[in-house]
Amino acid sequence: MKYDRIEIGDNIGLTTIIDEKFKSSMLTVRFIIPLDKEKASDNTIGFSILSDANSQYKTIAELSEVLSELYGSSISSFSRKRGDLQVLGITASWLSNRYAIYGEDIQGGMLQIFSDCLFSPNASDGAFDEELFSIEQKELFDRIEAELNSKRAYAYSRAASIAFRDEPAGNYSYGTRQTAEAATAASTYAAYRHILETAVIEATYVSADPDPKVEEMLRKGFADVERQPRPVEYISKSPLKPQPETVSEEFDVRQCQMFMVMKTPFADPYALKLFSVILGETATSKLFRNVREKLSLCYYCSCSASFTKGALIIDSGVERRNIEKAKDEILAQLDEMCRGNITDEEINGSLRYIENALCQVGDTMASYSGWYFERLCEGEVITPQELFSRYSSVTRESLVEAAKSLKLDSVYLMLDKEEK
Amino acid sequence: MKEILSSSRTGDSCIHVKHKSGLDIFIAKMNGFSGVEAVFAAKYGSVNTMFRNRGDKDYTVVPEGIAHFLEHKLFENEDCEVFELYSKTGATGNAATSFDRTAYYFSCSKNYQENLKILLDFVQKPFFTQESVDKELGIIGQEIQMTNDNPDWRVMFNMLKCMFHTHPVKIDIAGTQESIAKITPELLYKCYDSFYNLNNMVLSVAGNVKADEVLAICDEYLRPCEDKGLELVFPDEPDTIVKSDIREKEEVGASIFTLGWKCRPASGIDRLKKNIAAAMAGELLTDVSSDMYQRLLREGVINSTFVYEVFSGDGFFSVMLNGETEQPDYVRESVVNEVKRLISEGIPEKDFRRFQKGMYAGLVREMNDVENVANLMMSAYMDGVSPYDTIDLLTKLTPQDVHDFISNELSEDKLVLSVIERMDVQS
Repeated sequence: MKYDRIEIGDNIGLTTIIDEKFKSSMLTVRFIIPLDKEKASDNTIGFSILSDANSQYKTIAELSEVLSELYGSSISSFSRKRGDLQVLGITASWLSNRYAIYGEDIQGGMLQIFSDCLFSPNASDGAFDEELFSIEQKELFDRIEAELNSKRAYAYSRAASIAFRDEPAGNYSYGTRQTAEAATAASTYAAYRHILETAVIEATYVSADPDPKVEEMLRKGFADVERQPRPVEYISKSPLKPQPETVSEEFDVRQCQMFMVMKTPFADPYALKLFSVILGETATSKLFRNVREKLSLCYYCSCSASFTKGALIIDSGVERRNIEKAKDEILAQLDEMCRGNITDEEINGSLRYIENALCQVGDTMASYSGWYFERLCEGEVITPQELFSRYSSVTRESLVEAAKSLKLDSVYLMLDKEEK
Repeated sequence: MKEILSSSRTGDSCIHVKHKSGLDIFIAKMNGFSGVEAVFAAKYGSVNTMFRNRGDKDYTVVPEGIAHFLEHKLFENEDCEVFELYSKTGATGNAATSFDRTAYYFSCSKNYQENLKILLDFVQKPFFTQESVDKELGIIGQEIQMTNDNPDWRVMFNMLKCMFHTHPVKIDIAGTQESIAKITPELLYKCYDSFYNLNNMVLSVAGNVKADEVLAICDEYLRPCEDKGLELVFPDEPDTIVKSDIREKEEVGASIFTLGWKCRPASGIDRLKKNIAAAMAGELLTDVSSDMYQRLLREGVINSTFVYEVFSGDGFFSVMLNGETEQPDYVRESVVNEVKRLISEGIPEKDFRRFQKGMYAGLVREMNDVENVANLMMSAYMDGVSPYDTIDLLTKLTPQDVHDFISNELSEDKLVLSVIERMDVQS
């Protein structure tokens, strides 16, 4: 594998990973900006339109047809939340030319499409094409409404909005029904242009085939953009509420969802992650073994740590009558860790779990792309092996400190309507 | 017996061994990859509710959901939990039960030989007690509630209930709280002894492995099995559907639908051919560039969630279209008209070729992922075909084959519409 990163503009990075085992290529350009709830819908719709069509293929139908001609190549956009930031992007993936049955230049075709989508969208007079805008605005309405279809994901979002209230991370990455309704073809185009000019930008190309045209294409596209990049803060710890807050809402559901959000100012990201794995990220974790296996209270009870927000989120799907029992056991397991009751087997097993995941970075193009982007966000590009050595250096004392630093901030309960 | 299977189109290959124990073994060494994925699977799923072995006088009828329940319980050895063993070696292990198979798998980047020993050992060592059965009732009960709150799951099972009169594919894989309460250790052992026979199983290993090492571990750990002549029984299933429409109101934000045709089942290579023709039909019916798709999109009737799925197995075959809509009847009418149009006008060569290229590329990419390759080899065994048959058959497929499939199988009288409606939608 060959790794290379260059700056191709003011706050525009291009990471290239060449690995000959891959049979396809992937190009992703990410735009990182502060998450602004008033602009989130404009940003999301604007980027969605980019991957629908461009100045060459002006409709969804035209672009879709040419992508399927190019061996089912794909181009799509995304809008995600990372702490208090909004990460927008456009990503494309296509089959390597060496597998083209009829000798087509898939690579060349896709680089041109990517360039047109990103830098030359179907827009005129300062506004996106009205029909494309209407379709993507409707898509966003549907996406907002459909969130309740996945009860766990909906409950997660509600828990985040309560735990991070009045912080950017408390908002959805795609805004609200109201901000989506307020969007126009002009406002979304203005948002897209603003992002091109002001975002911190990271491009990643993963392929078996080195291709200088990737860099050329991006340099040429950004050359016409008047860049005024605004630096972003990747870490923004969330303040602890003076008193833990519990919010419960009733729905017509069969299983209740419980989310507990804990906060910590803890400064060691490696100890916090290892702590989280031991507590609830594996099938040998304390939560799995006790809340699920010993007490049979649930099918899942797990946790995840966000160093960016200084938070630990624990969730479980339980019956209403077992909520308090599950909560007590979760807190009891946390208390075990505060008291240093962490076995060598738990620490070593969790380290091996982390090592296993790290060693497989590079087995897929997406894992390479995500790995290097995350390292850049953390301000230091290191190898998976180097990262693992940092986890290995975490002491039991640090794990206990991490446990003791966690304080309950909020609880969100999605309750069924059947029992009162 | 040992053979090398390969694809002349992509250059991929694997080794197939018929082991003396009775087990079929597939191994794909994938250069440049760090990870290893191993799958040890039995031809045993939720549809296998009635069976007997050679020599049994009577058929055994088991409670719904027992295959899934057995999968959970196999992770408990007599002396320890399997997850603790994986924890010592650094693997991520799990299992999954579907309609017609149960697969135990692990993924790792180190110690694959140790992990393979754990996998082969625990799957061959059942230990069921009344106490452990009772303990699992609460856990699986919550899993059932979780899936009951999943509208995608409900919309599909509602459709299957309208599509099939008697075939057990209409039964929820995990069963119900009531059915799993009837499961006993004795029944679990009966199912285990019948289905977890190495003659009814497959081992598939892909990634950073050496075939000789895998086979040496197999020689050491596999316990030879006598083929017990397992006989599966499925009730007679008529060609007709039960009813064409089912709707349910749920606490959802967006109403969703599944539109499925009941097609005639097939097996072996015939099923694979039919799967490919059905997938091509699905591509045509959900083609973003088609007039129908574009009209429904502009009218705000569908969105980008509109996709197809081919669903087939032992005694069942269906093509389904899924998505979000507030106007499911209009979608059904549009799709029925589109099918009629494709039948009368034929399949345009240009559209056929671009979808053929897209499906080909999808298969090439699939063989560039360790997990996918392990699952591809496992599925090929389950379906009675070679792992590379799909790509060969795809290149031989013609527009006429697709036209024949659509004409013969996508009949309006075999079409079921299942809808999960938002609470505030007026029926």
